[in-house]
Amino acid sequence: MFAYLVRRALQIIPTLFVISVVIYALLALKPGDPIDELRRGNPGFTAADYDRLIKLYGLDKPWYVRYWYWVGRAAQGDFGPSRRFGMPAAQYVFQYRLPNTLLLSGLSLLIAFVIAVPTGMLSALRQHSLFDYGVTFVNFIGVSIPIFWFGIMLMYIFSVQLRLLPAGSLQTPGIEGLWPIIVDRARHLILPVAALSSLQMASWTRFMRSSMLEIINLDYIRTARAKGLPERLVTVRHTMRNAILPIITLVALAIPTVMSGAVLTETVFNWPGMGRAIFDAIVVNDFNVAMVSLMFISLLVLLFNLLADIIYVIVDPRIRYD
Amino acid sequence: MTNRTVAARSKAPIPEKVIERNPSTWQLAWRRFRRHKLAMLGGTVVMLLLLAAIFAPWLTPYGFSYQNRQLLLRECGELPPGEFGSPHPCAPSVDIPSDPQLLGQCVRPAVLVWKCGMHPFGTDDLGRDILTRVMQGGRVSLLVGFVAALAATLLGTLLGGIAAFLGGPVDAVISRFTDIMLSLPTLPLLLILTGLLANQEVPLAAYLSQTLGPSKSIVVIIIVIIVLSWMSTTRLVRGEVLSLRSREFVDAARASGAATRHILVRHLLPNAVHVIIVQATLQVGEAILIESGLSFLGLGIQPPAVSWGNMLARAQEFVFTPNGIYVAFFPGLFIFLTVLCFNFVGDGLRDALDPRAKR
Repeated sequence: MFAYLVRRALQIIPTLFVISVVIYALLALKPGDPIDELRRGNPGFTAADYDRLIKLYGLDKPWYVRYWYWVGRAAQGDFGPSRRFGMPAAQYVFQYRLPNTLLLSGLSLLIAFVIAVPTGMLSALRQHSLFDYGVTFVNFIGVSIPIFWFGIMLMYIFSVQLRLLPAGSLQTPGIEGLWPIIVDRARHLILPVAALSSLQMASWTRFMRSSMLEIINLDYIRTARAKGLPERLVTVRHTMRNAILPIITLVALAIPTVMSGAVLTETVFNWPGMGRAIFDAIVVNDFNVAMVSLMFISLLVLLFNLLADIIYVIVDPRIRYD
Repeated sequence: MTNRTVAARSKAPIPEKVIERNPSTWQLAWRRFRRHKLAMLGGTVVMLLLLAAIFAPWLTPYGFSYQNRQLLLRECGELPPGEFGSPHPCAPSVDIPSDPQLLGQCVRPAVLVWKCGMHPFGTDDLGRDILTRVMQGGRVSLLVGFVAALAATLLGTLLGGIAAFLGGPVDAVISRFTDIMLSLPTLPLLLILTGLLANQEVPLAAYLSQTLGPSKSIVVIIIVIIVLSWMSTTRLVRGEVLSLRSREFVDAARASGAATRHILVRHLLPNAVHVIIVQATLQVGEAILIESGLSFLGLGIQPPAVSWGNMLARAQEFVFTPNGIYVAFFPGLFIFLTVLCFNFVGDGLRDALDPRAKR
């Protein structure tokens, strides 16, 4: 078991290497280069300048040569500068973007999980009840609604019409004091979190419900009832425990996806997070920022996959990895 | 049945009606589907939307890029002139700010002219009728949804079927490739793909813009969606065919000397078809959602082509414009309704086509 986990953990390194090659190659294949941005903003830019800069940045070399340089530096923890923000790409991503993303996606996933699991369970336990139909219907809405449109509508209702909540961005400038800052940040978080958690909530509730329904009809549940176990214990110990198992993988895999994929919500609410950072970096060819954020997300995907396996072993004694 | 049997017994000879043919699988499925109220509702709405999209040019008096300049506020504070020099009877009901500093904000408001029935959904900032554009956008969005879903399902079915049926190294290659595609971060893949297909130096992109002109972005988005969404079908079909392959009736067919192709076409496919149909239905909604998201970010359908997604491209700014909510509300509402209805239909089909389900 321990050997298996060590092997899995070690496998992360070559996998990450392959992913980095693929992403680097894809980015290099994309039309345009980092000089384009300079040229666009600078009317006095000549062809000679262009050639000089291309040489200076080493962009005249084929991508695999550039990749070799990049990977050599990256292995030492140097991910190169961000051409757009004039600071190390890693600093930009980890200091200015990652905390915002952790806050937004972490909170959204937490809320989605806390609401989805009991709702899904209850919905399954009272199958065909009014509550069940209501939950199912709301789930349909949750998975069908375009998330950015939902965000815009929330913004219209709560910020424009009711003027209750701010219409986006991280915080109000010029607020002093610890407590007012916390309140202000929380107010800014409500709408984006509501938008972002809705989709996860709907799909997890759905998943939880069907997972419960599958188990409710199994033999050992009938056995538990037959031997006279109180209904509450049957539900809590036998059904819930087993039903919650498959959702662990789902949650573990959703974390990196939500962190990198919240670009729509971040765009609507002008939230400076990772999704938007990756998007912008790719659009303006700020390769180093794109690389460091994508590598980070890939590492997260691999780590959370591993974590899901570990949790599985802990909660399900039947699973043995050898 | 009981009544009829009794009647039949009492009278000889047996009337022919008793030897009624059993309803076919599809008839049974239709009966089950009809009982699913939400699915029937969804199906009806989808049909209506399709009809509206198909007949859009005949249903609306405006062209989708026609600008009703009469209703545009040329300058703030000055209402557009009507026929007799008085304000136009359909003039927009916009609050004109008295503060001169705010005047700049209402130069081009979205105009709602409900009272004249001219523009039931209002117009956008350029004076274009939103209802017309929703219908026109529906043509594009539904087209993208159907074509992309159909192609992705076909591709996924083909790959999944091949992987499961041939097994061995072919299966390994296809399965690993599917896994890799599923674990790659979607967003950069999208950006790079759309970027590649926008680059004139790429032969396929150059060919597309040569043959398609301004509607090229529609084909590009369809290709992008197909590349991104065949994997789930592949996995599903592979699993289904693998489980079917080991069933007795396939063994029986093989034992009686049926050719591989015969088994695949006659035995495996018909038994897996219900899974595929449901998947395709859900895929349509999924494709419409992807299209709208991409177009919202400015990567999808490019103007002058209209889609529900690109009507929302700057929607979050309009929230703050007087009456601007109409610009943001309607296209999104139609995306939502369409995807919802496809999900209802998919759910209904899942229940109706399940071969284990009873009558």
